[in-house]
Amino acid sequence: MFKNEEMEINLGPQHPSTHGVLRVKLRLDGETVTHCRPMIGYLHRGVEKICENQSFFQGQVWTDRMDYCSAVANNLGWAEANEKLLGITVPRRAQYIRTLLNEFNRIASHLIWLGTHAMDIGALTVFLYAFREREDVLDINEAFCGSRLTTTAFRIGGLREDLPPGFEKMVRKFLAKFSDCLEEYEALLTENRIWKKRTIGVARLSAEDAIALGVTGPMLRAAGVAYDIRKAFPYAAYEEMDFEVPTRTEADTYARYQVRMAEMRQSARIIQQCMDGMPEGPVMAKLPKILRSEVNEVYHATESPKGEIGYYLVGEKGSLNPYRFHVRAPGFINLQSLPKMAEGGLIADVVAAIGSLDIVLGEIDR
Amino acid sequence: MPTPTLTQSIVITLIQCLMVVIFVFVVVPLTVFAERKVLGHLQQRLGSTRVASGHVGFSGWMNRRMWKMGKVPVISYWRGIPGLVGDVLKLILKEDVIPAKADKFVFFLAPSISMVAAIVVFAAISFVPGTFFTFPTWFPYLGGLPVSGGISDINVGLLWILGVATVGVYGIVLAGWSSNSKYPLLGGLRSAAQMVSYEVPLTLSLLAPVVLSSSLNFSEMATRMAVGMPVWALIPQVIGFLLYLTCGFAETNRLPFDMPEAENELVAGFHTEYSGMKFGLFYLAEYINMTVVSALASAFFLGGPWLLPFGLQGLLNPYLPGFLSWFTEPHAIFFVAKIVFLLFTFIWVRGTIPRYRYDQIMAVGWKYLIPLALVNLLLAAAIRCFVV
Repeated sequence: MFKNEEMEINLGPQHPSTHGVLRVKLRLDGETVTHCRPMIGYLHRGVEKICENQSFFQGQVWTDRMDYCSAVANNLGWAEANEKLLGITVPRRAQYIRTLLNEFNRIASHLIWLGTHAMDIGALTVFLYAFREREDVLDINEAFCGSRLTTTAFRIGGLREDLPPGFEKMVRKFLAKFSDCLEEYEALLTENRIWKKRTIGVARLSAEDAIALGVTGPMLRAAGVAYDIRKAFPYAAYEEMDFEVPTRTEADTYARYQVRMAEMRQSARIIQQCMDGMPEGPVMAKLPKILRSEVNEVYHATESPKGEIGYYLVGEKGSLNPYRFHVRAPGFINLQSLPKMAEGGLIADVVAAIGSLDIVLGEIDR
Repeated sequence: MPTPTLTQSIVITLIQCLMVVIFVFVVVPLTVFAERKVLGHLQQRLGSTRVASGHVGFSGWMNRRMWKMGKVPVISYWRGIPGLVGDVLKLILKEDVIPAKADKFVFFLAPSISMVAAIVVFAAISFVPGTFFTFPTWFPYLGGLPVSGGISDINVGLLWILGVATVGVYGIVLAGWSSNSKYPLLGGLRSAAQMVSYEVPLTLSLLAPVVLSSSLNFSEMATRMAVGMPVWALIPQVIGFLLYLTCGFAETNRLPFDMPEAENELVAGFHTEYSGMKFGLFYLAEYINMTVVSALASAFFLGGPWLLPFGLQGLLNPYLPGFLSWFTEPHAIFFVAKIVFLLFTFIWVRGTIPRYRYDQIMAVGWKYLIPLALVNLLLAAAIRCFVV
């Protein structure tokens, strides 16, 4: 008379907590997830192919539009990969400014993650608090390069312009209040019983699994692996910075929360050091009028807020545009771990897992 | 006092009904407005705390004056009202979409069940014991007749309230089922499980006042709980109040228990397929339910129409000097003030804490709240036996 049947349900592509147009195909036994497969491609624009048909200068605007929450980090990776390919050395002051803006971008990206993740779990207030501080970071972006989200902040060889007047004051004002703001978010979440119940032990991903799946960034560090490209293979001015790589060993959603919160503190520390030790000098290297590649291929990885973003560029010697361009997008690779984390949990845990992945679909689909 | 004829008493009952309905339909939009404003201030939202009509009306005049004085106008109680008006207009004017494969009759029925169940509860709620006011003798037809402080203060008032309030679950379950869609179905099933589970500790926590006051009549219970208690009755009342409030949050589907509509998991839960005024009815029902829960909490635990909560009024009444006599008597205004405070608590909690997971809600309900409610009931019984 009664029969058990599994229900198949589509989480997305239009759904409040899939952070864009992610579609997750779930099979449910009651509320328990027995099968979970992320489906992607709804935002595919062919960024890689487009970049292959444009000059080295023009590609950068497309990197803005991949992970639009951390445009500066994408720009940095693109610029450095191209500098390697074209054999250009960037002035020291430019390196410092790049580091500074990159860390601001990390803060902005983590703030978005914090807000949306908390909202997925039902804590609405944190979302609006986090966006309030993100506004300040975007104002700093705007002061530097005129745009807030799709920054195209850097140029191959350095920067388009030096820091604007009044920039240092803005930065110092932000730094002065930011640790208080972090404490405000933590007051609402860190010791909140419901928050802990919803996140501790939820969506575990062990270090072995994470490495096997190629997961990087805060997800990996929350599993106890202190792998941060800023430390492992320093780029920009990170070698001269004094900062820690926060790690946790629990490998659950709560650990990822703690890692990202600690990373924001470290970012503020790096910004402070950049501001204090800012060298004088030019911000742009001497470049030829027409850029031609010097080597055949290059892979350059940087630590974006989401994980390792790698740019793979192939250019025949002397060519004007990359012959092949590929992005190792951290969100794309981290997303693979979703079935591992979500299967066996409840629907609410799928939402928590997606939140803790910190994905941006623009980057996954490209 | 003249004895009213049948027609006169019918007219008076109608007047009482009208008063209660007016109360409900004044309090509900104000709560919605307050929710926007309070949440706006808690979360530093700019729209709901600052948007104003700009040029028309009193606030418009104030705006212009303040701009002229070179100040940015921010303080105005009515700021944010255009948002509310827009919301209401949207609900009324929006196209009413019915899914092609929905069970149309049940789809229509569900919101009305929720709404009716929510509003009919007020029949047994008395705002002030006895007479609310008496018509002056010069008043045509009704001169000298009393209007009581509630529609009908029946002797099984609490049973009526609990019974009718439970019917509201049907609205949600049927809405989830009749939409013939997956998310509403999940939402409906969740709510069935959740509300049935939380009905138990809710009723158990209300049994303590019943035991203490040995009555089921609303106003008698309120009176006994507010002024007829020795001080030891405080203990079960405080525990009972917290228990009741927790279960009340669950019964009204508010954060942290808003499982049936958990926005970030189930899109909008049971009302995903509803639009226009049908959705509006669910929305209204939720806010009326909040008012009902607040009314019960304020009557049985917070002293109802008396000033002081938890039975302290009865303890302190002999010591309150004569010039404070207004504070020793019941007034509907105190009752309403407590309802308003509790409604504020609902909003406040929403702005502060995240949402429980479905299985955790069940665990909290069955493993903690029900045993605690039983202990609370036992305490109340002990006090009833040995103290009162």
